[in-house]
Amino acid sequence: MAKFGRTTTWRAGVAALALAAALPAAAQTQLLYLAEDVPAGLNYDGPSVSVNTSQVGFINIQEPLLYYAYAGLNEEGVRMLDFSKFEGRLIEKWENDPATKTWTLHLRKGVKSCAGNTFTADDMIYTLSRAKSVSGQAPIGWFLSSIASIKGFDRSVFTGGSKELGDAVTKVDDYTIKIQQSDASTLFLMILTNYGMAPFDSAELKKFATPQDPWSHIHANTVNPTGFGPYCLERWVKDDEFVLSANPNYYRGKPPIDRIVIKKVPQSANRALTLRSGQAQLTQRLTAREFDSLRTAKGVKVAGVFGNETLFLNLNWKTPPFDNPKLRQAIAAAMPYRQIANIGYANQARRWEAHFTPVLNGFVKPTAQFPQDMARAKQLLAEAGFPEGKGLEKYESAFRLAFTAERESYLGPIATTIQSALKDVGIPIQLDPMPQTQIADRRLVKKDLPISISDTEKPVGPDVIYATKLFFVSTTAGGVNNMANYSNAEVDKAFAAALIEADPAKRQELAKFIQETLQDQLAWIPLVETRTQWAFGEKLSGISWHPDNSLRLFDLKLEP
Amino acid sequence: MLRFVTTRLATTLVQLAGLALVVFFAIRALPADPVARLVGLNASRDAYLSSQKALGLDRPVLEQLGAYLGVLPGSSGLLQGDLGRSWVTGSPVAEEIRRVLPITLELITISFVLAFFIAVPLGMLCALRPGGTADRITFGYSLFAGSQPEFWWALLFIFVFFATLGWAPPPLGRLDPMTRPPPALTGFITIDTLMAGDLKTFRDALHHLALPVLTKVFVLSGPIIKMVRQNMVRVLASDYILYARGSGLRPGRIAWMALKNALAPAMTLLGVLYGYILGSAVLIETVFSLGGIGQYAVRSVLAFDYPAIQAVVLVIAAISLFVYLALDVAHALIDPRIVT
Repeated sequence: MAKFGRTTTWRAGVAALALAAALPAAAQTQLLYLAEDVPAGLNYDGPSVSVNTSQVGFINIQEPLLYYAYAGLNEEGVRMLDFSKFEGRLIEKWENDPATKTWTLHLRKGVKSCAGNTFTADDMIYTLSRAKSVSGQAPIGWFLSSIASIKGFDRSVFTGGSKELGDAVTKVDDYTIKIQQSDASTLFLMILTNYGMAPFDSAELKKFATPQDPWSHIHANTVNPTGFGPYCLERWVKDDEFVLSANPNYYRGKPPIDRIVIKKVPQSANRALTLRSGQAQLTQRLTAREFDSLRTAKGVKVAGVFGNETLFLNLNWKTPPFDNPKLRQAIAAAMPYRQIANIGYANQARRWEAHFTPVLNGFVKPTAQFPQDMARAKQLLAEAGFPEGKGLEKYESAFRLAFTAERESYLGPIATTIQSALKDVGIPIQLDPMPQTQIADRRLVKKDLPISISDTEKPVGPDVIYATKLFFVSTTAGGVNNMANYSNAEVDKAFAAALIEADPAKRQELAKFIQETLQDQLAWIPLVETRTQWAFGEKLSGISWHPDNSLRLFDLKLEP
Repeated sequence: MLRFVTTRLATTLVQLAGLALVVFFAIRALPADPVARLVGLNASRDAYLSSQKALGLDRPVLEQLGAYLGVLPGSSGLLQGDLGRSWVTGSPVAEEIRRVLPITLELITISFVLAFFIAVPLGMLCALRPGGTADRITFGYSLFAGSQPEFWWALLFIFVFFATLGWAPPPLGRLDPMTRPPPALTGFITIDTLMAGDLKTFRDALHHLALPVLTKVFVLSGPIIKMVRQNMVRVLASDYILYARGSGLRPGRIAWMALKNALAPAMTLLGVLYGYILGSAVLIETVFSLGGIGQYAVRSVLAFDYPAIQAVVLVIAAISLFVYLALDVAHALIDPRIVT
């Protein structure tokens, strides 16, 4: 397999060189993009799917089926999306027959992959069959298909049920397929925009199938996933650099930038310094203070957006005394939102006043609000049965505030600020930094962390109902990552109804009910929304924000 | 001698086998879950269980050990020379280590050789006139260089030589990112560029190596100077040197005689230092974006990538043990009493 990898990379390199040679040298534009890491793997059904620095790789190599229309620029010049308007990508047109719960998808003609193969219905069948096989290490394709209610994509695949696609997806002709749903999920089109549904070039991937790996997960993950996207993989040295060259056959036109080198520079200070020197054109994930210092640097621009990056306090509903609603409200009223934004994010954050961010489809700002008010916090604490904190001592083991030790640089001061504010109202807590792997285990598997602060929840499906499924639907009703162990039959019922509600107005009513209920009960304690930012050379334009927080390199333009 | 070497080699293998077992059980005893890390915090329970099965973590620990060692029927493991596949990248760990190890070895070997050639004459100079000006200056430098962590010096050098003076390239790895590197035949960028006959890229590689090597040499030279100086002072005060002086031998000849004897204990320390530097190269690698085995080890530990952690520990330990073995053999050649 190692030989396969080297050979294919070599071939890709030669092809890219040939391509480069065919272009007039002076016309070639190149971009140096400094990142904290380069992709570790490129298979979205593989182990690196949840890693943002890996996502930027396969997102720009593969092409989505549908996407969102652009909605214009925000005040800082970042292109935003309209999550209520879908536009065709590899699927050109689509029709739904609610009576039979069948979608007819008309595929775009004349689309070619970097390997030169033409996109057809066979690629769709292959990609969905691969997802149903749940043969990857992280079956994201299956997960998304199940949320889209594609027939047969249910939990039975893990308990001996069929892993064959069956009649759920049928090929009508080379450019038309039909997909049948088990329920009329309104999230169907949204799911088709996701990178985890992007088709593979089946003709290419099939070349690397083995009896042990019939769906070529290893090849896709370690060598090339070969899709129909705007960029082709030219060179990939793990832990070092990731080089993309423009796909000359890309159906939306050749990308404006011919070659993009993504270079791993772990130290954010070095990324900032190199950008300032003019030797790189783009970077992100600097500290808030580094972004601030670059705002005034010559030849450098900084732009950002309040997207879906947030920080919240998770209080476990199954750990007494956090099942006491008044205590939750008291804690919320004691939160030092302004200090958190200042200390942790150099004021590049704002108070989060909901359980969802405003960019999500279906968002409404809930009525109930809990701004910092220490007198109110003390009053609520007394109403909870713990006047001035008396009685909390018997829950000592529950008052340990966990956070990810690897992010100690900014989460540590935030945790200390929270500790200090809670102490002021009579709630003593201990700080409990722990490694990311341990946090993940306690949150995802054991779900037994009493209190934690978290900034990793960023729903890639930009829809309130999708995010509800991820975070707030109870496990028994099909919830996914309900780390707070929140359980409310009314919310579960509203979610189930909203999922299949075809009338947008009625769906919005249900979404509003969910948001108001979560905020009233404080399913978790929202703290701040943080800005997603980029720093780039002044000759670069076309920065756009996407729910997965990965740049679309096709959008970028670089002036000579 | 053959018996001595065979015995030492056997001891080394036993040590490696013991280490492999300790690492295998130690990482599994830690309170963390690599599956949760791999599938992400938003994964479903089904996805989690599927991933756990794919990684083989649903099996009993002893069965996992059997698979790791390669003693289960049909399995390929350590005994077959298979280090497994990384859970993060999916690539064979051996292939990844083949790529990252030369980066670190090149950096520390060049640094060691340069540090040695700078530090030994300086140490000798100090020892010839203890308390003299050169001795005081060198002593001050060796204290100064060792008083700050090396990443601090690295950042300072980047600020001075790249950001301020513009002499050094940006800290973006071993080559200008926009150049196309030569085929990786040995993994050592200086050797590969020369083998490809690409002198321009060779010069670029040296340019990019300059600051990391300067940092290492700056920090490493201090203890080597002190060590050589102390040994030289002791040797120069010994009876046979007094006898040589009394016999009217030239100072240069006496210094050479003294150096040979002063270097013998220094060799042991150099061996220890080499192993230590290899294991702690991560700071310099991170600051200069070099992507060597230090960074690979840290990434593996943070991701709880069991196959990669196990392999990195084994490889670094094997190199250290090999260096110790070579030193033992060298000592045995110098002093045959060790063999008996």
